[in-house]
Parts: sequence; C-alpha cells; structure tokens
Amino acid sequence: MPLESNARIAKELARHGYNAEREAITLLASAPDSAAAVESVVDRAPDDALRITSDHVRAVTNDRSVSDTDPTSSGTDPTSSGAGPNASDPGSTSAAADLTHESPPARSGSGSPSEPASTRSPVETEGSRSGLVDTTDSNTDDTTDSNTDTADSNTDNTTDNTTDSNTDSAPHHDPDLRELEVGNDMTGRSTGTGEYGDFVRTFRDRYERLSKVLRGRVNHRPAEAIAEMPGGSDAAMIGLVNDVRSTKSGHWLVELEDTTGTFPALIMKDKGLADVVDEILMDECLAVEGTLADDSGILFADSLHFPDVPRTHRTGGADRHVQAALISDVHVGSDEFMADAWSSFTDWLHTPEAEPVEYILLAGDMVEGVGVYPDQDEELEIVDIYDQYEAFAEYLKEVPADTEIVMIPGNHDAVRLAEPQPGFNDEIRSIMDVHDAQIVSNPATVTVEGVDVLMYHGVSLDEVIAELPEEKASYDEPHKAMYQLLKKRHVAPQFGGHTRVAPEERDYLVIEDVPDVFHTGHVHKLGWGKYHNVLAVNSGCWQAQTDFQKSVNIDPDAGYAPILDLDTLDMTVRKFS
Amino acid sequence: MRPDDERYFARIEDRLDEAWDVAEAAKEQGHDPKPEIEIPIARDMADRVENILGIDGVAERVRELEGEMSREEAALELVTDFVEGTVGDYDSRAGKVEGAVRTAVALLTEGVVAAPIEGIDRVELLENDDGTEFVNVYYAGPIRSAGGTAQALSVLVADYARSLLGIDEYKPRDVEVERYAEEIALYDKETGLQYTPKDKESKFIAQHIPIMLDGEATSDEEVSGFRDLERVGTNSARGGMCLVAAEGIALKAPKIQRYTRDLDEVDWPWLQDLIDGTIGKDGGGASDEDAGEADGAADGDGDSEADDGEGDGSDGDGADDGSVPDSGGAEPDGPLRAKPSQKFLRDLIAGRPVFTHPSESGGFRLRYGRARNHGFATGGVHPATMHLVDDFLAAGTQIKTERPGKAHGVVPVDSIEGPTVRLANGEVRRIDDPEEAKEIRNGVEKVLDLGEYLVNYGEFVENNHPLAPASYVYEWWVQEFSAAGADVQAMRDDPHVDLEHPEVDEALAWAREYDCPLHPEYTYLWHDVSVEAFEALADAVADGDVVEGVLAIERTETTQHALESLLVEHVATPDALRVPTWRPLARSLGVDDGLRKTWEEGDLSPAARSWDDGENAVKAVNEVAPFEVRERAPTRIGNRMGRPEKSESRDLSPAVHTLFPINEAGGPQRDVAEAASVMDDSGHRGRLEVEVSDRVCPECNEHTYRARCPDCEVHTEPHYECGDCGTVCEPDEAGRVECPRCEWEVRAATYQEVDLNDAYRSALANVGERESAFEILKGVQGLTSRNKTPEPIEKGVLRAKNGVTSFKDGTVRYDMTDLPVTSVRPEELDVTADHLREIGYETDIDGEPLRHDDQLVELRVQDIVLSDGAAEHMLKTADFVDDLLEQFYGLDRFYEVNERDDLVGELVFGMAPHTSAATVGRVVGFTSAAVGYAHPYFHAAKRRNCDGDEDCVMLLMDGLLNFSKTFLPDQRGGRMDAPLVMSSRIDPSEIDDEAHNVDIAREYPREFYDATLEMADPESVEDLIQIGEDTLGTDEEYHGFGHTHDTTDIAMGPDLSAYKTLGDMMEKMDAQLELARKLRAVDETDVAERVIEYHFLPDIIGNLRAFSRQETRCLDCGEKYRRMPLSGDCRECGGRVNLTVHQGSVNKYVDTAIEVADRFGCRPYTKQRLKVLEQSLESIFEDDTNKQSGIADFM
Repeated sequence: MPLESNARIAKELARHGYNAEREAITLLASAPDSAAAVESVVDRAPDDALRITSDHVRAVTNDRSVSDTDPTSSGTDPTSSGAGPNASDPGSTSAAADLTHESPPARSGSGSPSEPASTRSPVETEGSRSGLVDTTDSNTDDTTDSNTDTADSNTDNTTDNTTDSNTDSAPHHDPDLRELEVGNDMTGRSTGTGEYGDFVRTFRDRYERLSKVLRGRVNHRPAEAIAEMPGGSDAAMIGLVNDVRSTKSGHWLVELEDTTGTFPALIMKDKGLADVVDEILMDECLAVEGTLADDSGILFADSLHFPDVPRTHRTGGADRHVQAALISDVHVGSDEFMADAWSSFTDWLHTPEAEPVEYILLAGDMVEGVGVYPDQDEELEIVDIYDQYEAFAEYLKEVPADTEIVMIPGNHDAVRLAEPQPGFNDEIRSIMDVHDAQIVSNPATVTVEGVDVLMYHGVSLDEVIAELPEEKASYDEPHKAMYQLLKKRHVAPQFGGHTRVAPEERDYLVIEDVPDVFHTGHVHKLGWGKYHNVLAVNSGCWQAQTDFQKSVNIDPDAGYAPILDLDTLDMTVRKFS
Repeated sequence: MRPDDERYFARIEDRLDEAWDVAEAAKEQGHDPKPEIEIPIARDMADRVENILGIDGVAERVRELEGEMSREEAALELVTDFVEGTVGDYDSRAGKVEGAVRTAVALLTEGVVAAPIEGIDRVELLENDDGTEFVNVYYAGPIRSAGGTAQALSVLVADYARSLLGIDEYKPRDVEVERYAEEIALYDKETGLQYTPKDKESKFIAQHIPIMLDGEATSDEEVSGFRDLERVGTNSARGGMCLVAAEGIALKAPKIQRYTRDLDEVDWPWLQDLIDGTIGKDGGGASDEDAGEADGAADGDGDSEADDGEGDGSDGDGADDGSVPDSGGAEPDGPLRAKPSQKFLRDLIAGRPVFTHPSESGGFRLRYGRARNHGFATGGVHPATMHLVDDFLAAGTQIKTERPGKAHGVVPVDSIEGPTVRLANGEVRRIDDPEEAKEIRNGVEKVLDLGEYLVNYGEFVENNHPLAPASYVYEWWVQEFSAAGADVQAMRDDPHVDLEHPEVDEALAWAREYDCPLHPEYTYLWHDVSVEAFEALADAVADGDVVEGVLAIERTETTQHALESLLVEHVATPDALRVPTWRPLARSLGVDDGLRKTWEEGDLSPAARSWDDGENAVKAVNEVAPFEVRERAPTRIGNRMGRPEKSESRDLSPAVHTLFPINEAGGPQRDVAEAASVMDDSGHRGRLEVEVSDRVCPECNEHTYRARCPDCEVHTEPHYECGDCGTVCEPDEAGRVECPRCEWEVRAATYQEVDLNDAYRSALANVGERESAFEILKGVQGLTSRNKTPEPIEKGVLRAKNGVTSFKDGTVRYDMTDLPVTSVRPEELDVTADHLREIGYETDIDGEPLRHDDQLVELRVQDIVLSDGAAEHMLKTADFVDDLLEQFYGLDRFYEVNERDDLVGELVFGMAPHTSAATVGRVVGFTSAAVGYAHPYFHAAKRRNCDGDEDCVMLLMDGLLNFSKTFLPDQRGGRMDAPLVMSSRIDPSEIDDEAHNVDIAREYPREFYDATLEMADPESVEDLIQIGEDTLGTDEEYHGFGHTHDTTDIAMGPDLSAYKTLGDMMEKMDAQLELARKLRAVDETDVAERVIEYHFLPDIIGNLRAFSRQETRCLDCGEKYRRMPLSGDCRECGGRVNLTVHQGSVNKYVDTAIEVADRFGCRPYTKQRLKVLEQSLESIFEDDTNKQSGIADFM
C-alpha cells in the first residue's frame, strides 16, 4: 500500500491506534519505503505508547538491524506529550466571557487600525480572493519540495539529535502555550421543557441583555410610560420589533415591544431612515428616538439605533505566531463530499508551511445526516448516520494529531434543529473521540489564545439574505449578512420564520460580548470581511454542488480553508479543490 | 331525439316550471336581496357561457359558430369578434384580450366550471425592455379546474388576440426565464403537478412563449434563487401560472399545435421541440446522430432491433412493456406483461391500507367488462372481498390504482370471482358469497387472492393505456368454445348444462372434444408457480392416493405453496393436502385419472423450463396436459385505499342556520338567542354594532339593512355612498360601483347599530314559531359578501326548526361520493315498479313491459339515486321549504312529503365544487350505500368522474328560493361552488367528454381478448366495442347503455368503510397493518415503512418545525400573537396566553412510529431518522439537568 502523503500516514497510524507527532510523520514520509517504515514503527512501538514520536521513528529508520533502541527514553515521551490535550479540558469553560474586554495590553498599540487593509477589501469575487492561495496547482511541487526540505532538515536533526532531541522537537508545538476556552456552551444545560414560560423567559432575556447595550445611547421609557406622556414631548423607547409595515403613503410603522407593552413608531420616508428600515428584522432589539404625536398615540421617529458593535472595538490576539483553520460544512456521507480536496487540505496541514496551524474550528455539518430533506437516502454515499460519523472521524484522523479541534453542530448533524443546538450526545461523541476534539453547542464562543471566535453554524443567514435587499446581504457575499447579525448583536433574531427556536432559560443566541472573529458556514459560500474591526468569515464547504443547489442557482465555494493568524488576525484563504 | 326522450325532458321541465312559478311569486315579495330568482335557466352551453361570463351576445355568436366548427375553433373565431368589438363592450385592448381569453376558457369548459371567472384575474399590457408592449395574463389558482387543454388554449387565444391587435411579443429577461423554472419546480414540490417539466423545458417554454404568464401567489413558500424581480410581483409560487405552463403548455403541446397550424397570425414552431421531447435531454439538437440514437434507446420506443444488432446494452422494448429483456437472443422469453408501477403507493397514509402491491400475485386480478353500476373511473370489486379486507372497502371508497388510471371509485359487483382464503382449520376456499365471507371472516388466516377486479374497456381508452393481458374468464372462453364448433346456444337452452359453472366431467370433455382451451373454472394460475414447483407437484400428485373421491397428497412446503398459488381449493391436514376436485389439476399436471404421470423429466422442452426464468409453469403445463391451458390471471392490479366514501350534509364550521351577523356576541356557538339577550352599557339588550348593508326604501327613503322595507313592504335597493366624499353612486352595467370622484370601489356595507333582539323576536313572530321549536339558532360572526346583505332571520328560524343548516350561499346541501349506474332494479332502490312507471319508465332493458320490482330498467340520464342519508336530509329540506313558503312567504306548500317515497320524481340540483353551474336531476330511488348513484352523463354534466369525487345535491325549490349571488364571499374563489346558472337538460355533446368513453356494449368480442394478450393500443380495437361517443348526436344518444356484467344489488358490501367506523388514527393504523399481514399480495414491511415515511415522519417533522416557530394565543380573549409577548400575559385583556402547538401534538406519533418500525423490521435509515427525531424532542422537551434524577441523587 503506497503511503505517499502525510495525511495517509497519519491515518494509517491512527488505524493502529496511535496518534503521531508531526515530525514523526514527516520522518516516515521521507523514508524510502514509508509503508514498511510505518509497519515496523507500529510493530516496535512500546506497548504503552499512545503517540508515535520522532524517537520511535528514528529508532526504526536509523538502524533497523539494531534491536530496540532505548525503550526507556522513548517510553517517557508519550506520557508527557499525552498530557497535552488533557490540559485544555472542556471543563474549563467558565470565565471565558470576561476575557473579551480585557484584551492583553501587549499588542494593543500595534494592531487593529492598520492591518485590516490587506484582508478587508470589500468586494466582489475578485477582490475578496486577494488573499487566496491556490494550492491545487502548486500542490505537487509544494509537497515534494517541503518533503525534501524536511527530509534535509531531518538529516540535520538526526545528526545532533542524539544529544538534545527532547528540547529540539518540543518547541514545535508546546501544548503549554496553547490557550483554549469555551463560553456560552449550553451542551448538557438545556433546561427548557417546551413550555410557554420558557419562550417568554428566552425573549425577556434577549430584551434585557440587548437593551442594556442600548440604554446608554437613548433615554429609554417603557411603552406604558410613553403612552402616558403628553403629546409633543420627546421620547425614546427600546424594544423588540413586534411588527414592521409600510403605510399607504409610503411611510413605515414599526411597533416596538418591551415588558410593559407595545408602542408604535412612525418612520417618515423623508427622514433619511429608509435605508435603515430595510434592515429591520422582526424580533430584533432596537431603540427609537423621536417626538410623540399630539394625541400621544404614536412616536414620530427621528433616529433609530441598533445595538451594534462599537467602532472602538479592540481585538485580542495571540502573543506568538500561531494560526487557526476556520472550516465548516464537511458533509461526509454525501455523494458530493470532496474527499480529494479534504485530503489535499490535511496533506497540507502536515507540511512545514502549515506548522503554525495549531487549531481547527469547525462550524457545523460534519456529516450529511439523514432525513434532512425528502428522499435524501438516494443522494447518500453512506446511508447510516453512525457510519457517517465513523467516516468523518476517519477523515479527521488525517489531521495532524496534535491539532486542537473545536466543533459545533449544524443543521445536518444528528442533534435538534432548533437553536441553540447542544453538542452531540455521548454516542456520537464516542465515535468522534479522535484528537480529543471539543464539541460544543451552536452557537458558542471559543477563545483561542486571546482571540474570541464566535462560532455559529449560520442557518439564520438564509433568512437574513431573503429578507434584506440584495446589496445588504446576498449569497455571493455572505459576510455582509453576517455584518447584519453583528449589528443586531444576535445570531438569529427573527422568530416564526425559517429559524427554529428552542426556548431555554436564557437566549443563548444573543451576542452579548463582541467577538474578535465571527465564524459561520451553512450557506456554502466563501466570504469574509471586517465589520467595525470584527472579522466575519463564512467558510465555504467540502461538498460539491448538489442537485438541489443547482436547481436554486447556488454555486458553492467548495474546498477552501481560511487560515487565520491568531496574532495579527490576518487571514489567508487556501484552495484545495 | 326519440319521442320517449322528448317526453322525459318535457316532464322534467314541466315540474321545473311549476316550481319556478311558485318561487317567482315568493321572490317578488321582496324579502330577498333580489326580487327575482337568481339562477337563470340555460338551454344549452352557449347560454351557460354567456350567463357565467356576463358578456352579452356571446351565446348568439357561439350558436352561430357551433354548427360550423369545433368548439376550439369557435373559441379562436370569437377572438376576431372581440378584437373588432362586435362581441363584448370593451374599449381597451387589454379588455379585448381579456374577454376573448375568458370566453375561450368558458367555451372549452362547457360553461360549467368557475375557471373563466375565477381563474383569470386580469389581462394587462406591460412594456418590454425595448419599449414595445406585450400582453400579460394574470392567472389565479382556480384556473386549475379548466384542465390542461383549456389552460393551454387560453394562452394561444391571448396570443392570437395579441397579434390581431398588433401588440408585440413578450421578451423575457434571463432572470425571468430562470424564475419560471425555479418556481415551477417549487410549486411541484409544494403542491404537485400532474406533469413536471424538467428545468430545461420550463426555461424553453419561458423563452419562447409570446405572452407573459403571471399570477397570484398561491402559497407561502418562496423561491430562494430569483427573487424580487421587477416584473414579477411576488416571491411566492404563482399556482395559476405554474399550472398553465406545466399542465397546459408543456403537457398539451400536441393539442395546441393542431390549432396553431391553422392560424396564419400565430406561429409557435417551438412546440415541435416540446412534442419531440428533445428539450431537457442531453445532446438536445437533432444534428448529432449518436445523441439522437441514445435518446431513442432511453425513451424505449421504436427500432430496438437495430440497436440490438449493434450490441446496444439497453433494450428499448424491455424498458417499455416490462417483458424480460431478450438481449442477444440466447436468453429465454417470458410472457408479455404490463410493467409494474409503484406510483400509486406514494404518499401512503396511516389507516388507509394497501390491498395489492404492484402487480403482485395474490392481488386483484384484472377482468374486463362493465357492470351496470360501473365505468367512468370505477373498479368493480366482489362484495365478499370488501368484507374480507376487514370492511375497508365499501361502495364509493376511493382506491388509488396501478392502472389503467390513477384512482377508482369502488363498486360492488358479484358476478365476478370472489377472494380465496386459507382458514385457520387448513381449508383453502374461494368465497363467492358476501354472507359466507362475513361468516368465515374471523377464521381467515391468510387471504391468498383478492378475487377479480372489473375494469371496463373505456377506462383504457380514456387513459390511453395499452390493454393489459386479460384474465381467462367465462365470457372469453364461451366465445372460443363457440368458435371451436360447439353449439353454445343449444347448451344455453339445455337446463342440464351450466355453461358458466360446468361439472368437471363436462369441462374436461369439452376441452378434449372441441379442442378448446380448458374452461376457466378449472384453469389454475400456473403462471404463478415455478417449473420446479410444478414438477414437484406433479410427482406429489402421482404419489398421492384417492380416497372416496378426494385426492390426498403429501404436504410439503412446496406442494402447499403451489396449491395456494394455483388457487386450488383443498384442505390441509397436518401431513396431507386433500383436494376434492382433483382431476383437472392432475390432468393439467400431466397425470391421468389413475394417478400415473404421463411424462418424464426430460420431456419438458428447454423453452418451457426457462420460460420467464423458470418462474412460470404455463408452458410446461401446455406441454404435458392433454388440452390447452390459458393463463388464468396474467394481470394483477396494485391498489391501495384513497379517500373513504362520503355521504353527509354540508355544514359550515361552525354550522350556520341563518346568514345574519352577530359578531362575538353569540359565543363560540354563534347563538343568535344569546346574542339577542346580551345587555350593553346602557341596559339595552341585543343592540349590536354590526357591518351590514345599507339599503334604502324607494318609497319612504328610509335606510335599513333589510331587503324589504318594514314599513312600506316594498323591496329596498343597496345604497352606495362613497365613504370619503359622500357621493351616492350607481352600479355600472357590470355591477361594479366606483366613486366618480375618488375613483375607488364603493360598497353598500356600513357599520350600523342593529336591534338584534327585536329582529329575532319579530322573526319568530312573523313565522309563528316559538323559541322551543328548535334547540339553537346559529348565526355568523360577520358576513363575507361585498355588500354584506344579511338574510331574513325567519329563514334561519325555519331551518333550525327542521334541522337543516345553510351553506355560504343560502342553500341547504348534501354531499355524496359520485358513482355511475346505467340500469337499476326498482327493488334495490327501495321503490316499486309502480313508482317508476309513474315517472315515465315503461319497459325493462330487454323491452319487456315493466311489471315486477326485480326487472332491470335502463336509467334516464338525469335521474339520480339518493343515499339513505341524503333522502332523509332532502325530506327535512322539503319540510323546511314548505314551512318557508307557508309561514314566511304566505304561499301554498309545494312538496307536502310524508315519507321518502314521496321524493321520487322530485327535482334536485346537482352541483360540483369548482364549478358554477348546477344540473337539474330527478330522484328515482334510494340506496343504503353511502354514495350518490346517477347516470354517468349526469356526473359528467357536472364535470365530475367517479374516481372518488364527491359533490352535492340541493332540493330544487330550496335553490330557487334561497340562493343569492349577493351572499357569495367577496374573495378569490367566492363564485366557485355556487349555482350561477342551471342546465335543465343534458346535451350529451356538451358534457365532459370523458363520459363518452364509457363503453355501452353488452359483450366484448373474442378479438378484443386476443388483442389484450398483445398489449394492443386500446384504439386499435375501438371498432369492436361500442362506446358512448359512437351514439353521440344520434337519436340513440340518451339510451342503449348496455353492460357486460350484472350485479345483484348496487349497495352490496359494507355500508361504510371501516376507515369511517374505526376510532382514532392508531386504531385505523393497527387495522391497516393487521390487514397487510393477512394479505398475500401485500408486503407489510413496505407498508410500515411507507406509513412512517409519508405520514409519521412528515407529521413529526412538521409539528416540530411548527413548535419552534409557533404563534401563541390568549386563552381568554382569543387574541393571537406572532411571538410570545414579553409581558407574558395578553396585551389586550391581561389574560393567560398559551402555546398553539404543544409537546403533545409534536410527540403524538413518535412512540408509535418507533414501535412500528421495530415490529415490522424497517430499514436502519428509517429507524435512525426516528431516533434522531426522538432525541431532538427529548432535547427540547426535557430538562438536561433534571434527567438523571434517580434515587442516587438523594442518597
């Protein structure tokens, strides 16, 4: 069996139950007969080893005739590195929320205003692909090059290896440097029982938390109180949008609701707010300021405020050069899953170029699922849902073993469709236990070495795109739809439409703290850009165009992996298809 | 027309005139919205068209044209008249096109359906991108009722008018073309189309069609791709447009082409591509020869031999007719069979059982013929079968069938073979008697065969379905017997010979002496056993013993299965199978009476062995038997239950006695008495602020909502006052009222304070009734008509008293499933020969004078049979009408009925949904079946067939007195289902032509049966069997409807389907699955799978979706909220608000579905879907933190 690629070697080792150090894999790949090398490494690996290290490999490759090199030294290694993943246990999710505002002072001066320029280019296809690296063409060269490179460096290494191998190989990926915390995860904490009261609690929580954001900007009076105010007085109200409709004469009537009742605001067409009205979605939180009509029956609006992201938002950042791959929508099990593109991606992860990629953040739809749409079984390569996750786990094994992975479920996954979606049940978790991936709820905030990444699968994007005018949100520029969600500080504001809501004790869909990066998927289109300093990324997919997409005119961006620099928040998109 | 027919129609029209005079006198009093009868009588189709459209002069012109040309041509000819302005009074060009299009649709639908008025909203002229004008036709949902041809022709007519008016063609933008394709696909997904054009086809049509098709949004589901287009007003699917494009243009392209060819002004060359089917196929163009050939092979048509020669893998013939592919010629042949089709199983729902899986042995066997209560989309089933499928089938139950059409109404026919069952005691018996079926029903272990299924030839013509191979039956055999030289007539006359059910010796002798195939009575289903089983059975019989005339053979799995498949009656004991009638079986097996096998293993030819891959022993039988044995039942027809039959009064929900508005005052029951006693703030009772019409008395000029001035006792007229400027307006000719100053529509409805208490009390007094005369008098919350004219409460009082309720148009209606019948016996109709003689029946079908109650007489075209329920309802209605005439209008009673026999000869209206014309019918008798039996032409005049359709009857005088257009809802479809016009006599040429395909022969010739074996085209034998079409336009058109099969009683079988008598859905589904286990022809796992897939899963998923985006509602005041109020309580009344979708409605099927999936071994895919859903439900409805609370938590 030819094992030409790093990913395949990793997978082969995984098949035998081993994780592997990146370096070890590189060594194996450069061996004259890598298949044989893998075999002998597996044969000779100590019984208690969980992880194949470069030492193991060298023990085999350097001197095959010599029997087991140094069982003691190689034996210690696995245990120490084995502690790595454990360090970032899912348990430590608590105080993540607080981190956002206290950005480490170290990088505050250097960063934010200047650097976005490179990635920001707001933009049609051409423009936005500026940072895109096409690996397909260069792939072969790339890998061979890098292989020889690493082979060289390996030989270098080998020479002085014997003396201080431990110190040398460790710095590559020091688990101690990693920081990963999860906030807003509701997995295992779904307390709603589907009662009316749960719904009320959810919406009240939304109102309370979002109105807090707006309170500083307007002098809010409750709906009840406004109705009692004398006509002609100035008033402001914060509320959830209850109704929006246009009047016969071309004005708009926006009805806001707070906990005391509703009050209508009239937005005149000549106030210059028309553009804003277009953006209003039902059930989002808004503030309106204006003058009461003479009979106090209606508020003539002068201005309208969204909770929004403050323009002064300061982003966090890692204090070392480290990267995260932001991907989503793998859709394993579908006839259209692009296994080759995926393997090019994982191959690349094994190259030195990908060395800094220590994190993978996966925004849902790991598998194609079952029963997502009628007669889906006819388009499934793997019909069994558990087999789909098994297969996905296999594909995940191609990823370098020491990569930190965080995943949230999507609408194709085997969890409830209603949002927030908790992470998977134990049965499916146990299938996907490779790499000790963390599986958290959709949405959730992942803080990676100081960078807050809000991960949300993105079902509401469909609705935002449907409701808003083309120039504000479209499938070709999914990040613009994401800007809207940031502006509304809620990942799925509209109730009663496409988005399904599961009532909980709080509204987990509120964006209470401004993230540094907002990462979604779902619409299978690639797009990114910055909104008030927040990087919004919709990360494409790994599934070729389906018949359904063809029928509704969607051409997916498949096989791209956006790679985020966690220290600078610069992003590069790599193409693997 | 024969004098006899003249007399018949004269009799009906005389009675109609009598009623008319009385009704006219009543209406003149001015109590009703209009002082005249509002259902005009249409003499013919031209009248109906004019009346429905309300365009003067159309009728005259139509009659002129009718003699000269076909209806379609007349429709096109009329375009010229509209354009020139000689017909219709239209000034604008758009108006002219609109008039022409509406008239064309009305003509093509015989002026019966509502499509021309409700299905076409408007025609307008819009601008192309190059500045030229084009025509836009704006369709609405009800265009559906016009049918594909009329839909397609409406576009052609619009185009013709367009070209005559010199308007340019529609030049679609690219996005619009794409939109059509997406939208049609979306509509198909949501609602379903008869024909789904491929995207390429839709785009092709959109690109070439010279008229823009537009329409109203008909569903909430929106397109996701091509939205917010400038010239398309909605993002939702436009149902009317989709229907016209798909079922009209795409499906009926060949028909339109016929007419475009004759018109110089209209040229649609692109139709040819649609007809050829080259759109949407790869290759597309005819230039590429290879592509063309590939298309041919894929289509399965034509020269497959040439393809074979080239070693082409796919065999065209094989794909087409389902015969075993003969690639290379080395493979053995199989019999010619109709190809099994799964289609009818789609959307199977819980509680409606499958009777036969596609073409499955043990299922219904196709028999050709027409019973007297049969034809016109019905299927004949033996009443014993109806009982043995656990009463799920009754007369009128709809079944979805595999062929020839999509659905049938079930009719009981006992002159065909009944089912064969295996009883718990081991006996295998055929049951030909419904009583016997009921007796043994509890002991049935397995239904081995469902018996025969009677389908008439006309069904195959109507559906253009190739004739499927016929069962070998008596009527075929006897013709072969005669052809073989037997003196059949002499044998028929011989009392000792039973030709249809002969003795064994006779049958064997005839087969031998005349060299004629073995009599069907003793022909077994050899095609259902394998050659292997056949050999095993032959050996077993040869090894058997005959004791006291009964053959006993060894019982093995093979022999038992073989006998059961062959449908040989026998008794199974623990170690033997005992066959009483064994000689024909033995002979067929090549075993003589001495149980000596006359052949060796090697005697069977290889061809016989490998016939149909060895699965069909019929060739083997013919090689060893001493006579010819035909295939007994080569065609099985798959089917499942569709809708149950219906016979119930049409009530609005909640039921309504009087169309008088009482707001919320009457409570949820809409009780008028309660509303009349509600006290307001000022202490007055029954003062309500309601929206009713503003009418004015011509004498005293007082305003009132009443149709008759209470003071002057004269009829009042609606008062149209513009709400803005106060101008009093007059309606124009078309009845529309527009304020000349404000240019908007003015209505006569206003909010007024009405003293309901007074109105109610005086109504009681007027008709001299007390409140105790009825239990409750129900009104309506509000009126939906344009001018909101209320009905006199008096009518409601009398309705309530007589226990009938009103439909939205003021009439009292009773719904029944339609079934056809062409000959009846007085006794089965619960009337006497005298009754029938009184209403003009003189002879029976053979021309003998009608004397006895059991003589068969041919039914007149407008005579109908009422179900028991309908008769009872009509009696109540007659009492109501009589009370109304006497107590309200002060006239003589009209009906004076005491018992239901008095209804015989009375006139009714038949009226189908989606139509706007009523047909006058006459009551001839009654049946206990829950259906409305009538002549197929009567149903066709209402534009119904009998495949499970239902429609209503109204008593004639009720319609004349109480119907008013004024009551009709002012909304899309409001004029549907209302008798805007009545046809007093049926002209067979002016009815739905589907009825012309009912065959009227008394027997089918031998050549027909031979043709079925070739799977001939039904039209190739049209000369052999007379159908209704053949007598059209002759003196014979009203009679001579022969049938090939009699039935003892048209009401045999269960009175009601078990579907209606069983309790909740679970009970029905259990019965359905239980039945699936019992029927040999049904795969119960597949049934379970489909029930889950098509019923449970969509229900759970749908409710789950609904749950997570639901509305809420105040329990106290009923106020609805799109989202839960933040205050928690009702913002209107402070009351308790609650969900509209609860956990219970989401969860209700989950456990059952999981259990059924387990019990019936469904696929893992299905089980997993259920599991994922179950976990979703848990995740939503269970508190994670509470879940594990067990005893451990408390230790």
